[in-house]
Amino acid sequence: MPIIEARNLTKRFHRPVKAPGAAGALRHLIRPTYTDFTAVDGISLSLEPGESVAYVGPNGAGKSTTVKLLTGILVPTAGEVRVCGLVPFANRIANAKNIGVVFGQRTQLMWDIPVVEAFRLLGDIYEVPDDRYKQTMAELVEVLDLEPLLPVPARQLSLGQRMRCDLAAALIHAPPVLYLDEPTIGLDVAVKARFREFITYMHERRGLTVMLTSHDLGDIEELCPRMVMIDRGQIVYDGPFAEVTRRFGYERQLHLTLSAPVPDVPAALAPVIGGRAARITDAAEQQLSLTFDGRAITSGELIRDLATALPIADIRLVEPTAESIIRKLYQGELRFDAQPAETAP
Amino acid sequence: MSAAAPAMPVSRSRPRYLAIALAAMQQAVAYRLSTISSIIGNFFWVAILYYLWRAAFAQNADIGGFTWPEMRTYILLAYGINALVGFASASRMMYAIRTGDVVIDLIRPLNYLRTQLAMTAGAAVIEALASAAIIVLLGLAIHAVPPASALAFILFVISLLIGFVTKFLVVFTVSLLCFWTINSTGLNWAQGAVISLLSGTLVPIALLPDWLQVVANALPMRGIVATPVGIYLGQYTGWTLAGMLALQIGWLVVLWLAADRAWPRAFRAVEIQGG
Repeated sequence: MPIIEARNLTKRFHRPVKAPGAAGALRHLIRPTYTDFTAVDGISLSLEPGESVAYVGPNGAGKSTTVKLLTGILVPTAGEVRVCGLVPFANRIANAKNIGVVFGQRTQLMWDIPVVEAFRLLGDIYEVPDDRYKQTMAELVEVLDLEPLLPVPARQLSLGQRMRCDLAAALIHAPPVLYLDEPTIGLDVAVKARFREFITYMHERRGLTVMLTSHDLGDIEELCPRMVMIDRGQIVYDGPFAEVTRRFGYERQLHLTLSAPVPDVPAALAPVIGGRAARITDAAEQQLSLTFDGRAITSGELIRDLATALPIADIRLVEPTAESIIRKLYQGELRFDAQPAETAP
Repeated sequence: MSAAAPAMPVSRSRPRYLAIALAAMQQAVAYRLSTISSIIGNFFWVAILYYLWRAAFAQNADIGGFTWPEMRTYILLAYGINALVGFASASRMMYAIRTGDVVIDLIRPLNYLRTQLAMTAGAAVIEALASAAIIVLLGLAIHAVPPASALAFILFVISLLIGFVTKFLVVFTVSLLCFWTINSTGLNWAQGAVISLLSGTLVPIALLPDWLQVVANALPMRGIVATPVGIYLGQYTGWTLAGMLALQIGWLVVLWLAADRAWPRAFRAVEIQGG
């Protein structure tokens, strides 16, 4: 049975429209106008216990809104959502006991209170029994190396230290579900690596279900075999992370070095690539770059045809990386196919 | 940090809201300078009003039913009491809403209203200690009158506690408006001014214009200052006294129910600011 399940989950915000300046503000006061903004638009999603899912998408795509719907902070406009069998917004308090949340840009710790006191407060808030509290704390302190940080108030922690403490804070009550909202934002490489190690450890050790929103591909690649991408409130991809490259990696590049200068490369190539799914992206003196659609033509075919028209000295074939694909998806340069991933060859 | 710092966190579980209040108290201690200086700032008004009223009483022995010793006791207590749930507590609630940090409170298995009350109460313990110390010192200096009787003092303390929760509820409900207004400073000043006037802090209610007296006597704000201080001074007896306490308790219940219904609606109506 899925631990997190959303069906046609929708959240529409009613937003005031204000013209700029004082006149606009005044007009809004007299005759307010509103627009409906759909932040989450019919999302269906299902996570099995122990699954890790990366939830990605450009800024403003609806990631944080989804997380807020799952934590019960926001009430959906339409659709259904269940976490651990509970409807989050109707049972916010019961749901809160089942989840841990880390917001990369906010902290659960209290600014002027030693970390150890903040942990104790959380232990009390979640009503963790003494023996279990000690056991969990001992484990978290050891794995996250928190010992030296315990007597320090949060305001004196570095960002990386604070993040380690916030992770512990989210797990004191041993929740089955952990939401991580941009957790590695601003962390250095070493701290990030350590953070990922810890999540992997908790995942394997405790069977924690993890939902991660991040822009960091390293996070996604290492932590979550499954990626869900949303754009403008809708799921545009849900499948293995590795599949993304296979599915959208059709746009390949070919870089050629010519053995002799060719006066008019485009003209020379027109009969060869005309009507083909290939185009010249860059042509210099003896350099030539082409982009082609790997689904329409193989690199072998293309190279063979090019060799008949041009004196080729060297060839370099560039496969797209996941990062470049995702960047292009964000920028709207690539479009997702209508077919789901399963039907791809 | 000292080497004696506990190696492993020791836990002895405490009731949830008590734990929150204690943490808020610790936080207020960490900010003791700002907590105490805002309390002291309040007493500057006492000095100003003291000289103002002294001049007025030079010509009259009785103003609005107050003698001069009663009046100086009134202003001292009024400002000392109104220092509780001060600007800082209101700012904290408004700031959390404005910046979206309120989500941190909402992901926890807690009732938001009770959490805020616990935090405000924790901070108020420190405010009250500072305020009480100043009241005693200044009270001795200006020869303030002692409570009318032992019973009056006990009822004063009870009334004071009800008044504290009343003020918290008023401030809490006003802070919810921050979901709509992005600016909180104006809201905070406005609620401070309205409470100061209608609670009888600035001027005893008996000295307000007739129509405003009617309004002030019906509203919950008088329970914050005018009622407890009036009880202290022995201005109310018998059924009047019982009526005053009943009004305070009645408003407390109404405000509590209203606040507890208001916050989930405020959340529902408006999106939470930022990420």
